[in-house]
Amino acid sequence: MKLNICHLYPDLLDLYGDRGNILALAARCRWRGIEPLIQQASLGDDLDFRGMDILFLGGGSDREQGLLVRDLMRREEELRRAIEEGLVVLSICGGYQMLGEYYQMASGEKIQGLGILDVWTIAGAKRLIGNVVVEIDERVLSVDSDQSIGMRASASKLKTLVGFENHSGKTYLGEGVSPLGKVLFGNGNNGDDRAEGVRYRNVFGTYLHGPLLPKNPHFADLLLELAIQRRGPLTRLVELDDHMEELAHQAMVKRLLKQA
Amino acid sequence: MKRTWRFWVALWAGKIITIALLVTGKKGTTLPGKIANWIDPEIMRHLSMAYTDGIIMVTGTNGKTTTANLLASIFREAGQGFAFNQAGANLVTGIAGALIQNTRWNGLSRASLALLEVDEATVPKFCEQVSPSLAIVTNFFRDQLDRYGELDTTVRMVRESLPKETVLVLNADDPLVAQFGTNYANVVYYGVERTPDSRSESLETREARFCPACGTELEYVLFHYGQLGIFNCLGCGFHRPEPEILAQDVRSEEGLLLFRVGVTSFTLSLQGYYNLYNALAAFTAARHLRLNDSLIHKGLQGFVPQAGRMERFNLPEGEITLTLVKNPTGFDQVIQTMLGANKPLRILIGINDLAADGRDISWLWDVNFERLGTHEARIHRVICTGLRAEDIALRLKYAGVSGEKLVIEHMLPEALIRLQASREDDEIAFILPTYTLLFPLRKILEEQQGKAGLLHPKAQDSREEASA
Repeated sequence: MKLNICHLYPDLLDLYGDRGNILALAARCRWRGIEPLIQQASLGDDLDFRGMDILFLGGGSDREQGLLVRDLMRREEELRRAIEEGLVVLSICGGYQMLGEYYQMASGEKIQGLGILDVWTIAGAKRLIGNVVVEIDERVLSVDSDQSIGMRASASKLKTLVGFENHSGKTYLGEGVSPLGKVLFGNGNNGDDRAEGVRYRNVFGTYLHGPLLPKNPHFADLLLELAIQRRGPLTRLVELDDHMEELAHQAMVKRLLKQA
Repeated sequence: MKRTWRFWVALWAGKIITIALLVTGKKGTTLPGKIANWIDPEIMRHLSMAYTDGIIMVTGTNGKTTTANLLASIFREAGQGFAFNQAGANLVTGIAGALIQNTRWNGLSRASLALLEVDEATVPKFCEQVSPSLAIVTNFFRDQLDRYGELDTTVRMVRESLPKETVLVLNADDPLVAQFGTNYANVVYYGVERTPDSRSESLETREARFCPACGTELEYVLFHYGQLGIFNCLGCGFHRPEPEILAQDVRSEEGLLLFRVGVTSFTLSLQGYYNLYNALAAFTAARHLRLNDSLIHKGLQGFVPQAGRMERFNLPEGEITLTLVKNPTGFDQVIQTMLGANKPLRILIGINDLAADGRDISWLWDVNFERLGTHEARIHRVICTGLRAEDIALRLKYAGVSGEKLVIEHMLPEALIRLQASREDDEIAFILPTYTLLFPLRKILEEQQGKAGLLHPKAQDSREEASA
């Protein structure tokens, strides 16, 4: 089996080790005998969203983010159609904000987003920086149409997400979408409502760098499962030896919750 | 400028605290400066007036400390007195402290020249009060972003705060640094023709893929490392400036760095091609100060590396090289150097995430550890220690280092024992800590070296030379 993983704008959105997410997805495919095909795409490149299995959008510096919104707008309709068909998307920080309705700057001016996620972001006065622990909302981690898979994901030993946030935008969710979970340590979406991230269909938005996936193998596997399910009859993912991943995850959970 | 009562109180308070710390045996490099600066927030401005021969500032992401130390070595060779903020005390408090130490109780300065390493994020605050006569800018890489915000901001802040009359000594090969010279009258560039590691394609993490002036993707004839190389922009014509000081015939042998500038050949006891840039920066600045070429040569040749910068220790089980790691580009260079020896490797990596290390350790995923994965057979053992020991072990797992070679050990003495246990003769060993682990590890290494009655390899070499 092959999985098409597209890293969009790796040259522009590559802050805070986000490429580690691609390394994690690729390795976890290879270890299971799935061949990961990694496409790195940038401004103006041809993209076939419907042929992709997983799309990754990372975070970037403010200057570079401006360049991208225009490029993405051009592809909006196609992307939206693929998402409605179940394309798996992981968007982090700047990528997360761009998929929302708008970003309101300190001056009050609004930069239009793609409007795929019912979320909006408002520039905050101070930067929210630091480690984060999130208690996962189990409903969010289920695979829509197959409850047994949902149970498998939630049967993982890990019930939390750990990462590192670094953002000044504060993101708020509309009524129709749910966060990934509740913040136990750190700020999350906005530092006010203890919510972190969002899921809409198979699109995930989050502020968690770290990078996110290596240390949250259950979440990485959820993305892989969703992607495989979209392609057809579901074959279960082979269990991996995640001893090291769990050590790294739990070390941070333990340390941070002791501080909290 | 008139000195106020605040100035005198601040100066004397600073000096009294310095003495008190000395007497009590505490090494506090920032406390005197902190207190003095609190009493008189303008103290740097007042103190800086005394340096009639100039103030030399060294800034940039990597190589500040080594460059400043190389230049200091040249000054000492030339018999030139100078004020100096040694030991990397490069924030406002450390700089104020160094200037206070160099000022007598009566307010007169002991030296007329100052050599100051200034943290890049501190440059705006520093230049508000002090007007450097010469500024060396080494390079800009992503470093501890959580402390500084984004790289763009740092570069812009440094650029905007440098006074127009300051002579700039710039790294021609780094587009982020070279752009400082545009519209500047007093600029001297240094650069490298090529190193044995230069490539026409880059496989590493690099900043500045795009022209800092117009945003077009930069073209490269050659990459030396990171974004350093021979570049040009097809959009606006911005290109790598012609260096006045150019290193040629660059190579490394037996842990020594060899190169030529013009007709003068150099052999330096430094490892890694990134150190070549530090030597060139010091050379260029010294030239500009009209120091005699043979003194510069002697000063550079006589340089002994700073604590924890490719520092070698002699232990009963074999030699160990200790070197600080703090960002992807620096780490990539260390990996290059380790693999360059073509011998089986044992490595101890220590990653902490305290304020001085950088709270965000995601940069470990921007380091090209995959190169260790490619040479996996030669990696015999990696001990992971520090507050983020598990994270570095996980990073290496995903880089292709097999699990049975990875050891997590949080206790430093035990970590060191496991590094050395049943070590074979042909294996080389490196210890790579982040900042807050450097000194604890160094202390243990020195103790063990002392206990075994061994000397620093460098010290031993020079003794042998003397007796020969």
